[in-house]
Amino acid sequence: MPGFLREHRWSITFSVLLHALLGAALLFATLISINRSTPGNPQPIPVDAVVVDSQVLHAAQRALADRAEQEAARARAAAEARAAADAAAAEQKAQDQQRAEDAAKLAVAADTAKAASAAQAQRAADAEKAAAAKRAEDLKRAEDAKRAEDAKRAEEAKRADEAKQAEEAKHAAELKAKAEREAELRRQLAEEEHVSAVEASPARAQYIARLASRIQNAWIKPPSARAGLDCVVNITQVPGGEVTSAHVSQCNGDAAARQSIENAVYRASPLPSPPDPALFERNLVIHFHPEE
Amino acid sequence: MNRHFSCLALIACVGLGSFARASFVVEVTRGQTEAIPIAIVPFSTPAEAAATFDVAQLVSDDLARSGRFKTMDRQDMIDQPHTAANIAFDDWRRLNNDYMVVGSVQPQGADHFTITYELYNVLTRQRLLGYQITANRPGLRSASHQVADMVFEKILGIRGAFSTRIAYISVLGHLPLRTFQLIVADADGENPRVVMQSNEPLMSPAWSPDGQTLAYVSFEDRLPTVYVQTLKTGERHRVSAHAGVNQAPAWSPDGKKLALTLSTRDGNLDVYVMDLATQLLSRITDDPGIDTEPQWSKDGQSLYFTSDRAGGPQIYKTGIKPGDKPRRLTFQGSYNARPRVSPDESQLAFVTQEDGAYRIATMDLRGRGDVQVLTKGHFDVSPSYAPNGAVILYATRDKGRGVLALVSADGRVQQLLVSSEGELQEPAWAPF
Repeated sequence: MPGFLREHRWSITFSVLLHALLGAALLFATLISINRSTPGNPQPIPVDAVVVDSQVLHAAQRALADRAEQEAARARAAAEARAAADAAAAEQKAQDQQRAEDAAKLAVAADTAKAASAAQAQRAADAEKAAAAKRAEDLKRAEDAKRAEDAKRAEEAKRADEAKQAEEAKHAAELKAKAEREAELRRQLAEEEHVSAVEASPARAQYIARLASRIQNAWIKPPSARAGLDCVVNITQVPGGEVTSAHVSQCNGDAAARQSIENAVYRASPLPSPPDPALFERNLVIHFHPEE
Repeated sequence: MNRHFSCLALIACVGLGSFARASFVVEVTRGQTEAIPIAIVPFSTPAEAAATFDVAQLVSDDLARSGRFKTMDRQDMIDQPHTAANIAFDDWRRLNNDYMVVGSVQPQGADHFTITYELYNVLTRQRLLGYQITANRPGLRSASHQVADMVFEKILGIRGAFSTRIAYISVLGHLPLRTFQLIVADADGENPRVVMQSNEPLMSPAWSPDGQTLAYVSFEDRLPTVYVQTLKTGERHRVSAHAGVNQAPAWSPDGKKLALTLSTRDGNLDVYVMDLATQLLSRITDDPGIDTEPQWSKDGQSLYFTSDRAGGPQIYKTGIKPGDKPRRLTFQGSYNARPRVSPDESQLAFVTQEDGAYRIATMDLRGRGDVQVLTKGHFDVSPSYAPNGAVILYATRDKGRGVLALVSADGRVQQLLVSSEGELQEPAWAPF
């Protein structure tokens, strides 16, 4: 319970205050209504006592009343006349004043109107001028904007064109590179197959080693045959190993290098025989690429 | 990442071998550097001109001296053909010849001869050369050198230098009376001719790039003075006689300037460049040590020189523009001096000290600066490249006498040049 109180302290306080306020408002309203009703309540007057003698008194009273009435009427009439005169004078004065005021107002209004009209004319002229300037400005701005827009569009078109061309070139290059990679891959695979085939046959590997050794020993390198020389010579041999032709097919060396390579092959003739006659190859390819 | 890696792998695989399509591939990655066997068959000569001149012998000697060829002894020849029709190629091949030269010398009138020669590849039976040269009697020697040049170039792919000349200093007599001679001879040492003689020392002959003029140092004025002498006319000019030392002249590649060593008043030696037309000097080095023996780079923008600025003599290179700083090139050993640049500037030859002896060494200028000591003598000095760069001529001692010798630029072949007399010094090989 105290927890609830603490928790809703402000709500409760608010609620209590609200109720108190409402109570106060109701009381106030009641008080006001009581106040208002008080003058309206008829007081009980004791009239029964004079009714018996009224006939006597009545005439006197009437005469008195009549006189008073007449005097009052006179006074009233005089007062009324005075009041009327006063009123008329006041009326007149008021009317005069009103007229003067109106006239002044009119004059001011006229001045104001005149000034206003001049100002208006000036404003109109200024506005016209400003408008003209603005129109010119707008026109210029519009033209500039249009030019800029055109230039931008042309630039964009150019850029788009270039981008397109670059994209196409890139694409072509990619295709080419891909084709080359594939070709290399095929070549590599073929070579791997070749190597594995050779490795699978120790006799064949031995034969190749013997051929290489024989030709290597027969090759007298010319001065130009340094590292970087890369030449291929195609050889035809007959059974027995005699070389019948040696021809350098591709070579980045000079004539002396080519000749030295063909000579090496002839000098190595007859070439060694394979350990297994089935391994004999009539056509050989020798790759010359000195390492130093 | 993965893609990157596979690309690398592919490149590596492609690099491993490029001729997988053939069914049978043999890889040759080494070769021999031995001499090429060649037979120069004696040329046919009519009986009346038999004693004229042995062209074939001179060609054979030239080729053998180059170190690149192994020439066949005449006594081993089973036959002496003079034309292709008579060559039994299989026989010559069986005698292990790769090439052979056949030819003839025919007299033309009283004193003229026509040399006809052919070069054959014995292995392929192809004719590689076939020429005729006409010469008078004294011209037969130089015509024979021309034949050797042609054969050399056809087989090796580099120009022969057999027709060029050399200059050297010969010292005759003993102290106190000595004679110094400046001699110009054929590249094989033949035809020596004295172009200058003095009782005072002559030193440092240097060829102009056109081969017409020699610069050298003469002590004839008591002090070392640089002279320039035109060979054809014998005309001499004293070009540098400054107070103190004037020595080690070297021609710029355009022949318009001389690099040389001059001494300051206090005796310090530095390298200078002199404009030959104006005689104006510009100082190239400025060091309290000795800077001398300048040699031009191929482009004429730098000088190689010897300096002891770091203690012992070492080889440096510097640009010739003001402010260029010398850079040390040699670091192996305590003595490296007398630099000479190979014609293609791929190598530097110099004198190095090894086991207390002076020897000729080369340094690779293009790669890692590998140094190779080429000679095995005790006093091998003054290297000079043949104009084809294949051979280095140098001075050495043989049986107590100063002689000239040759070593191939790869150090494989060494040979002494015969000389009749005198102490031979400071050889300089002329340009082509």
